[in-house]
Amino acid sequence: MSAADTAKKNEQGYWAFVRKQFRKKKTAVVSLYIVIFLAIIAILAPFLANEKPLVCKYQGTIYFPVFKDIAVDLGIGEFQPQFQNIDWKQLDYDMAVFPPVPYLPMNQDNNNIHSKGPFDKQVVPSMRFHHWFGTDELGRDVLAGMIHGTKIAMTVGIVSMLIASFIGILLGSLAGFYGDENFQVSRIRLWGNLLFLFFAFFYAFGARSYDITDALGKSLGDGFMQLGISVLIFVGVIAIGNLLVIPLKRISFLGKQVSVPFDLIIMRMIEVLNSIPTLFLILLIISIVRKPNLYVIMGIIGLTGWTGIARFIRAELLKVRSLEYIEAAHSLGYSNAHILFKHAIPNALSPVLISIAFGIAGAILTESTLSFLGLGPADTVTWGQLLSYARQIPQAWWLAIFPGFAIFITVTVFNLIGDGLTDAMDPRLKQ
Amino acid sequence: MKPVEASLEKGKGPSGKNRYVFTLSFPLFGYVIKRIFIFIPTLFIISLLTFILIAAAPGDPAETMLNRSSGEGQASDKLATERSYRELRHKLGLDLPIFYFAFTNAAQSDTLIRIPTKNHRETLDRFIYEYGNWQQIETYYHRLKNLELTVIATKKDSTNADALIELRNTVAKMFIHHEDVVLTGLFSDLQQQIAAAPGLTEIKQHADATEAAYNAVKTEATPWKKYIPKIQWSGTHNQYHRWLFGEAKWFGEETDPTKGKGFIRGDYGISFFTKRPVKSVIWDGLWITMLISILVIIIEYIISIPLGISLAVRKGTAYDSGMTVALFITYSLPVFWIGTMAIFFLCSPDYIEIFPPFGLGDATWEDGFFYKLGDLAYHLALPLIIASYASFAYLSRQMRGSMLTVLGADYIRTARAKGLPDNKVIWKHAFRNSLLPIITIFASFFPALIGGSIILEFLFTIPGLGQITYAAVIQKDYPMILTNTMFAAILTLVGYLVSDILYAVVDPRISYSKK
Repeated sequence: MSAADTAKKNEQGYWAFVRKQFRKKKTAVVSLYIVIFLAIIAILAPFLANEKPLVCKYQGTIYFPVFKDIAVDLGIGEFQPQFQNIDWKQLDYDMAVFPPVPYLPMNQDNNNIHSKGPFDKQVVPSMRFHHWFGTDELGRDVLAGMIHGTKIAMTVGIVSMLIASFIGILLGSLAGFYGDENFQVSRIRLWGNLLFLFFAFFYAFGARSYDITDALGKSLGDGFMQLGISVLIFVGVIAIGNLLVIPLKRISFLGKQVSVPFDLIIMRMIEVLNSIPTLFLILLIISIVRKPNLYVIMGIIGLTGWTGIARFIRAELLKVRSLEYIEAAHSLGYSNAHILFKHAIPNALSPVLISIAFGIAGAILTESTLSFLGLGPADTVTWGQLLSYARQIPQAWWLAIFPGFAIFITVTVFNLIGDGLTDAMDPRLKQ
Repeated sequence: MKPVEASLEKGKGPSGKNRYVFTLSFPLFGYVIKRIFIFIPTLFIISLLTFILIAAAPGDPAETMLNRSSGEGQASDKLATERSYRELRHKLGLDLPIFYFAFTNAAQSDTLIRIPTKNHRETLDRFIYEYGNWQQIETYYHRLKNLELTVIATKKDSTNADALIELRNTVAKMFIHHEDVVLTGLFSDLQQQIAAAPGLTEIKQHADATEAAYNAVKTEATPWKKYIPKIQWSGTHNQYHRWLFGEAKWFGEETDPTKGKGFIRGDYGISFFTKRPVKSVIWDGLWITMLISILVIIIEYIISIPLGISLAVRKGTAYDSGMTVALFITYSLPVFWIGTMAIFFLCSPDYIEIFPPFGLGDATWEDGFFYKLGDLAYHLALPLIIASYASFAYLSRQMRGSMLTVLGADYIRTARAKGLPDNKVIWKHAFRNSLLPIITIFASFFPALIGGSIILEFLFTIPGLGQITYAAVIQKDYPMILTNTMFAAILTLVGYLVSDILYAVVDPRISYSKK
């Protein structure tokens, strides 16, 4: 058996072990099932709560309006003229299958305004159209809001954690692996890169600022096109800088090796970020954004939430870098970068899963807090937003209980998964 | 580490004779001083970060403060509002460059920031981006302004009233457009409107001059200039310096009352919204938030330390497992949900009315010390419970865990083997060591409490730091946000410092002084 096979088997062995340990903990397993259930609700949200029928036969033709709706949202389809600006519920169908909840979260039911409770008398054509979780002040269906809110919560949790883990893993591993002394470059390369970083920013973004913003204002595609050009310019300028540096290295003063104190710089960054209470920092950023939408909120949570992961992986890499196999890789002549990305980071990643699980819980909590404060995404219905309506209407207990419970369950299951992972990956168990 | 160390040692005196030397040292004090010096650069970076973030904010505070209506009114009115607007911008320091230096390009001008109207500045910035010749652009802008004033100043009569209104609209549009197609169209509109009414020769002269200037902008364009990087040095005469250090004299009486003292000398500027000094608002809020945070911490530690120990001692019993689950659930309950529910069901006449739903009560200290204290306690009871339950659950779990770790250590086994009673083992040997992790948590608790004050004070309408910040964010009151963020950061750093000191005091092994 070759060395690679052994390594592979050990790898599988580790994950199999973790899986086995994780399964032992009932609460964690149940939590995982609940997360899968929530994810299914999130994905199926437009089919579970929608005003349009799933399938309908109208004037002799069969349509699939919900599917069409998704296609329209993606920009690959358009509704037939007879379906534009109509009330889907009032059409005279030959046959129609409506989703389980025949409402959209943002649309008002004018017959049931001023927050009708689940047990109140509601003005609906049949029990099929009953608002099972009641309505809010404007007559919007709470259950529909809950279902679409699941989508928002899961998206925010996962996307913002993806952003945070990307930044956290990158910076944390740089700090942990290189420390203050291990990243050696020649003086001129360091200075040259700093200088050309400035030039790269200048030519890629500074001198093209209006080109990019105009294109972004026009359409997302154009915006990405312009951003892509900027990134190319950026990379190009840096590359030119690095090429220009090579002949200068011969001069002994400029060619002298100096170390870049990654650890110092990155730890200082983390210290500064941690010194501002997160909610204050987020509020500060929100105050300068014109209109916070979902993407902005996810970006802010991701950009402020990476410090925990970075510290985690830094500590892990401090351990890993002195292990024998890293030394072996060094002596085999692999470059530092190769060892870092190919050997060190993959081995340090598993504990990061734990902080990602806790991080998702935290991100969902932060988003719902912001929505509750009325500072969340303005273009969608979220759990926190529904909960905040309860403050204005003291009789509407259904606005206080259901969304709050959903937040509580989601946050708890992610925390329990994190807890389960912590136990499953505990090295003491291996003995 | 002890706060004070004294020693009496045998040593050599100055004359070479043996002599006892008494030394007194304050290792803790020195350590604290050192930590405070480390905090200063951190605070500087935070101030820079927040200041620059806020400087990038959209909207013009001076415009919001004056609430001015543009376009209408007589020429004299227009001039007057513009003057007061310019004065206000000067007073707030908004006509200064933002920082000591700026990375710009050769096309940029340092006088652009002095143009008093936000959307004019934006249009001109576009001009610079497109044509890169500030001199010509400035001429064009001044001529356009003159044209506007002439249009406003021209006497209306029955023959030209319609034409004048149209002219005014056209000119107003010219200020906010930079696209060549649009502007060319607007210039030809201008000529038509002038021709439509008799006797507008003066306007025609100005319109021609403006058009000539515009053509000069186009023909003498130097768009390549924006590709030449430039570092613009502004010296200490900038917004950041003005905000942080102030312009007033450092020594002696300052005679000019318009000159502020800057953040580090306790002058936090003027609120854009209430137009009062930020200082007067913020101290009251700070006091309340500090009071609540400290009370919450005391409550949490008083409950969770004994609870955690009792759980650890009864490990494996039904009491332990039941409480562990209960604590986990308690810890996961979102504060704003439980807060809303509590206000909903405990403060409302519809359900049960035990607690007041908001505020801190209206009793004053003049009403009698105990009356005020009782009123305050009555109003703070529910907020304190809500603020402390989550972290108390967390803390108890941690205390249980760390106690269990310590109880598994060898020296505890030794103590037990010696035949010491359980009580003594726990309190004498295990207790102090099991406190260490809990103290480390304090460092992250304090910032969490300060951050959490936003939710808590929002829920219960308590006028503390969090509520002030929240209101400031809604009102886009930047000096207020800036000051609050700085104070939140300072409080956090103080929290770190306190936890470091506690750590040093509790753990005898830790020594911060170099030996």
